[in-house]
Amino acid sequence: MTDVTQQGPLSPRGRRDMLSGAMLLPALALVSLFILAPAVYAIVGSFFEFTITSRNWVFVGFGNYVRAAGDPVFWTALRNNAFLIVGSAITQVGLGTILAAILDRGVRRGNAIYRTIIFMPVVVSSIAVAFVWILILDPNVGPLNAIVKSLGMRPPKLGWLGDPQISLWMLLVIAAWQNVGFQMILVLAGLQSIPKELYEAAALDGAKGLRAFRYITLPGIRNVLIVGTLITVVGGLKVFDLVFVTTGGGPANATQVLGTYSYLQAFRLGNMGYANAMSVVLLAIAVLFGWLQLRLSRKA
Amino acid sequence: MTSRYRLVSIGLHLVMSVWTLFVLAPLCLMFVAAFKSQADIFTRPLGLPRTLSFAAFERAWGIGIGGFLFNSVVVTALSVTLIVVVSALAAYVLARASSRRMQALYLLIVAGFAVPVQSVLVPLYQLVSAAGLLNSQIAIVIPYAAYGIPFTTMLFYAFFLEFPRELEEAARLDGCSRFQVFWRIVLPLSGPVVASAAIFQAVFNWNEFILALMLLTETRVRTLPVGIYGLIGQYSADWPALMAGLAIATVPLLIVFVAAQRHFVRSMSGLGK
Repeated sequence: MTDVTQQGPLSPRGRRDMLSGAMLLPALALVSLFILAPAVYAIVGSFFEFTITSRNWVFVGFGNYVRAAGDPVFWTALRNNAFLIVGSAITQVGLGTILAAILDRGVRRGNAIYRTIIFMPVVVSSIAVAFVWILILDPNVGPLNAIVKSLGMRPPKLGWLGDPQISLWMLLVIAAWQNVGFQMILVLAGLQSIPKELYEAAALDGAKGLRAFRYITLPGIRNVLIVGTLITVVGGLKVFDLVFVTTGGGPANATQVLGTYSYLQAFRLGNMGYANAMSVVLLAIAVLFGWLQLRLSRKA
Repeated sequence: MTSRYRLVSIGLHLVMSVWTLFVLAPLCLMFVAAFKSQADIFTRPLGLPRTLSFAAFERAWGIGIGGFLFNSVVVTALSVTLIVVVSALAAYVLARASSRRMQALYLLIVAGFAVPVQSVLVPLYQLVSAAGLLNSQIAIVIPYAAYGIPFTTMLFYAFFLEFPRELEEAARLDGCSRFQVFWRIVLPLSGPVVASAAIFQAVFNWNEFILALMLLTETRVRTLPVGIYGLIGQYSADWPALMAGLAIATVPLLIVFVAAQRHFVRSMSGLGK
């Protein structure tokens, strides 16, 4: 470059820094403006009371948090999140691991077909998943009721999603239907990264079957299992679409979760500050698990 | 011994088949119901459609699925392009820097990964509405891009760290600037990781619901998931048309997935590392 203006005060080093800065800027700006600043703003807003259109914020201190602590629906929502988190971790990581192990060592024929089909629901939108399952579980036109009746049993009177004793379990089934394939592929990738020679060497030493699983397979996929579990945990914490569309948090708040309840408070009832306080609880738990995931995956 | 082996093998196939059928049945139901008549849905819940009719697809199209499809394509294409370009630029600079300051910037971007969009709904709504951008494509493309950047930057960062530096140095000696090295040498050779990231983000943004629900309240700007959701109140009894709409929203993804499976698997095993 012979242009005089380019030479002036900027050394080559300075110019390189400028270029680096320019290449970094878009990512930094977008993440700061749309993720980090809103997170800070949610924390600030959780100490105020305001509605969706009003510009005057009323400072209430910890009032919104006190309100949450005394709100039985908030505790129901938190408990439901915990139920879905634990239930999903067991069903999704458990089944995913079993299916992956069978694909890795057990069956040869049909391997690609099993893998492809079982993963399919992962790419289907949770809205489509929700509506298809609403149809399946529908008390009047749903195939599940037809099957149950043809077997001579009686389906639940209030419907699979309408009965507060059953609806949360149904959400667990639907979530497993959609996500087991994800865990399966994750674990399968871990299994396939274990060198086959290890198994051969162990077999020479007399370690086969369950012993080989205990001493070679399990340590080999330990990290993948931890990451898979954390992804499931964060997924159970963030769950919104499925609950919002299938039950809307009902019947009588039986399936309310933090996501749907804070959405309800903010955009239906206009309690923005209160919604912010619940969001901050969600954020705090999510950041804790996100940090754990980062730490554990760094170690690998 | 061999008979016992066969027995075990049959048992394992049985386990795989049971879950495969369980997964397949609801997907089949969606397509079968889309071809049924309204009367068949009520009288024969387990039956196959008696005639192959596209009437439900026509009804779905008539109530606006076409417009939602168009909006989804535009929003997904724009946001994925933005995510890939912005993340690649940042990840490249960060992967070639060693100072503590740059590492802090990397952590700042990656920190965004831990913030669930559900926890910042109120501030995001305030931000977008204060900017006067409610009910516009931009209002949804930019936040989608922002939320895709942390994960994609991590993916690219790992890839660029292992990229052979001899190639870059040779280009530098030939007089390429840092940006030219990135644009002409590194990016063209990063095809696989770009494809993985793009497909992963495309699926995610194609299906995104909660931001679209909050920021796109007018029917004309809605994307498929929130558009179909919005139709339910008006057409709640028309199961075939609803299923036809969902099928239209789902088929493109299933095709992309089957065609590009290995890219999915790659970006996912990136998660496990």
